[in-house]
Amino acid sequence: MKKLAIVTAVVASVLSLIGCGGAHGDNPGQAYMPDMYYSRAYEAYGYNNVAGEYDSLRSRNILYNGMPVIGTVARGESFTFPIPEGDSGYARAASYPSPLAGMNITPAQMKEGERIYLINCAICHGSALDGNGPLWKGGEGPFTSAPRNLKDDYTKALSDGQMYHAITYGKGQMGSYGSQVKPEQRWWIINYIRSKQGGTGADTTAAAAGAAGGAASGTDTTKASN
Amino acid sequence: MSFSKTNVTRIALLGMFSLFLSFNIQAQGAAEGKQLFQQNCNTCHNLDKASTGPALRGFKERGPWADQKEVYKWVKNPASYMNGDRTGYTKGLQQQYGSIMQSFPALTDKQIDAITEYITAPIVEKKTDDDEPKNGNPSKNEAASRNALIFGIISLVLAMVALILMQVNNNLKKLSDDREGILRPEQVPFWKNKVYIALMALVFFVVGGYFVAKGAIGLGRQQGYQPAQPIYYSHKVHAGINQINCLYCHGSAWESKHAGIPSLNVCMNCHKTINEYVKGPKLYNEDGEEINGTQEIQKLYKYANFTPGKPWDPSKATSPEWVKIHNLPDHVYFNHAQHINAGKVACQTCHGNIQDMDVVKQEAELSMGWCINCHRESKVQFNTDSTTGNKFYSIYEKFHNDIKNGKMDSVTVKDIGGLECQKCHY
Repeated sequence: MKKLAIVTAVVASVLSLIGCGGAHGDNPGQAYMPDMYYSRAYEAYGYNNVAGEYDSLRSRNILYNGMPVIGTVARGESFTFPIPEGDSGYARAASYPSPLAGMNITPAQMKEGERIYLINCAICHGSALDGNGPLWKGGEGPFTSAPRNLKDDYTKALSDGQMYHAITYGKGQMGSYGSQVKPEQRWWIINYIRSKQGGTGADTTAAAAGAAGGAASGTDTTKASN
Repeated sequence: MSFSKTNVTRIALLGMFSLFLSFNIQAQGAAEGKQLFQQNCNTCHNLDKASTGPALRGFKERGPWADQKEVYKWVKNPASYMNGDRTGYTKGLQQQYGSIMQSFPALTDKQIDAITEYITAPIVEKKTDDDEPKNGNPSKNEAASRNALIFGIISLVLAMVALILMQVNNNLKKLSDDREGILRPEQVPFWKNKVYIALMALVFFVVGGYFVAKGAIGLGRQQGYQPAQPIYYSHKVHAGINQINCLYCHGSAWESKHAGIPSLNVCMNCHKTINEYVKGPKLYNEDGEEINGTQEIQKLYKYANFTPGKPWDPSKATSPEWVKIHNLPDHVYFNHAQHINAGKVACQTCHGNIQDMDVVKQEAELSMGWCINCHRESKVQFNTDSTTGNKFYSIYEKFHNDIKNGKMDSVTVKDIGGLECQKCHY
C-alpha cells in the first residue's frame, strides 16, 4: 500500500508539472523563489510591493512621478534655452544664435547628429530630408499632414533658433521632442540638417543678430526649457 | 441643307476629341493641384480633418471664399487680408486655431485654381479589396498540433499491430511446440510479464523524467510569456509596417540600464494627428478575435486625457500600466546601454523579431546558460576609429597587438571578462 502511495504521489507531481506547462499567454509560469525573481526592492517600472500591497505608495497617497523639478539642469548640461513656448517665443527664437555657431563640429558629433536625426526625425521628414518619411509616404502613410520638406526654401530661411524652438516645443502637427532629444543633440541635428540643405545664408544672419536677441531674452524664463 | 456622311463622322470625331482633351486637361489640373496641395498646404491642412488649420473640403461654402478672387488675396497675403476683412471671419479662424496662415506670395492664380479644383473635386469611392472573409488568424501552431495528433495515432496503431503480431507469433510457436512434443513452461500473459513491466517502467521514467526536468528548468523563466496589455499596441504596425526605430520610443536603451517605456507624450507626438486605424492590415488578438485599432487609439486618448481637435495638456495624463514581460531575477545585473551602444547588439538578438509581433512575446529563455553562450561566441567589435571609437575598449589594445602578431585569431567576450561572476551577480 505504501508503495502504491509513493507511486501515485510521483505520478501526480509529474502530471502537475506537465500541467503547468511553463509560461504562455497571460500566465508567467511558476518560480521557485519568487522573492528572487520579482524584486522586493524598488525597481524601475516595478511596483513598490511592501507588506503585500500592490502599490503601497499609492495606497499611502504618495504620488511620485519621478520627474525632475522644473528648471533642473542635467549634469553635464551646458546649453540653456530661455525662450518660452508659443508663437511669440517662436518669433523671438529667430534671433537666438546656435551655441555651435563658429565652433568646429567634430566628425563624431556630426555622425551622432545624423544618427539621432534618423531615429527621431526621419520617420516623418524622411531620411533624405524631403518630408517624405515612412509615416507620410506621399499621403499613403497614416499621418494626415504632410511633414515639412527640410530642403525647401521655407526651412532654409528658418533660423537655427526657430528650428531649435520647433524641436523643443513642437510646431503645427509636430509634437515636442524635448523629452527625447537632449539640448546638445538638438543643435547637432540642426547642424546636420544645415549640412544636408547645402549652403544657406540664414544661419549666419541669425548668428549676427544673436548677440542682441540673446541679451534681451534673459527675462522671460518661467516656462523655459532646460 | 444636308450633311454628307463623311462630314458627320468628322464632326463626331472632333467632338469626341475635344471632349477627351477637356477631360484630360481637367485630370491634369487636379493632378497638378494635388501635388501643389501636398507641397504647400498639406503640412497644416487636411481635406477632411481639422489639423493646424481647418479642414479644407467644402471651403467654398464657408466665409467669403465663394469668390475665387478673395481666395487669391488671402493665400498671397493672409495678414493684410485679415486687416481688411470686415466680416471678421478670418479673425475668428485665427482665434480658433491660434495662429495665422503662412503667406504664399509665389503661388500664381492658376496654381491656386488648380489647388481649389483638387480640393473641390468629388470624392471617389475607393473599392475596398480586403472584403474577403478571413476566419481568424490561421496559426502555424494549429497545423503543427494536428500533425502531432496524426503521428500519434499512426504510432499507436503500429504499436497495436506489433503487439497482435507478437501474440500471434507466440500462439503459433506454442502450437508447433505442442505438435513436436517440446515441453515449455506456461506462457505468462504480457501484463504480468516482468520484462514488459520493466520496459514500461523505463519508458515511463525517461518520458516523465524529461518532462519533470524540463518543467523544473523552466521554473522562473518566462519564455513564451505573452500577456495582454492595457492597450492593444501592435509592434508589428509601429516598428514593422511604419518602420519606427526601436530607439524612437525606447531611446534610453542607448544610454542607460533600462530600455524605458515611452511616456504618453511620445505616443501623442504622432497620435495627436493619427486618430484612426484604417490603412494597416486587420489586427487579431491571441484568441483570433478581431481588434478595432481605432478603438485602441481611443483608449490611449482616455489615458492621455485628450480630446481630438482640442489642445492637449500633458500634465493631466495618466500612465497605462503596461505589463512587464522580460524580467530578470533580482540577483542579475543587465545593462541595455552596454549591449546596444557599446556592444552594438541588435534588439532582435534577445527580443526576437519584435517588428513581426502584434502582441510581444518573450522569445528567448533569458537563462544564465543562454547569456553565457552568447558571451562565449560574440566577437567584440573593436572600434579603432579615433573619433568615434569606444574608449572603453582601449585598454585591450594588447589584444589588437596579439592579433596583429598572430598570437590570437579572435577575441571573445570571455576574454574581456564576460564570464566574471560579478558582471551579472553584484
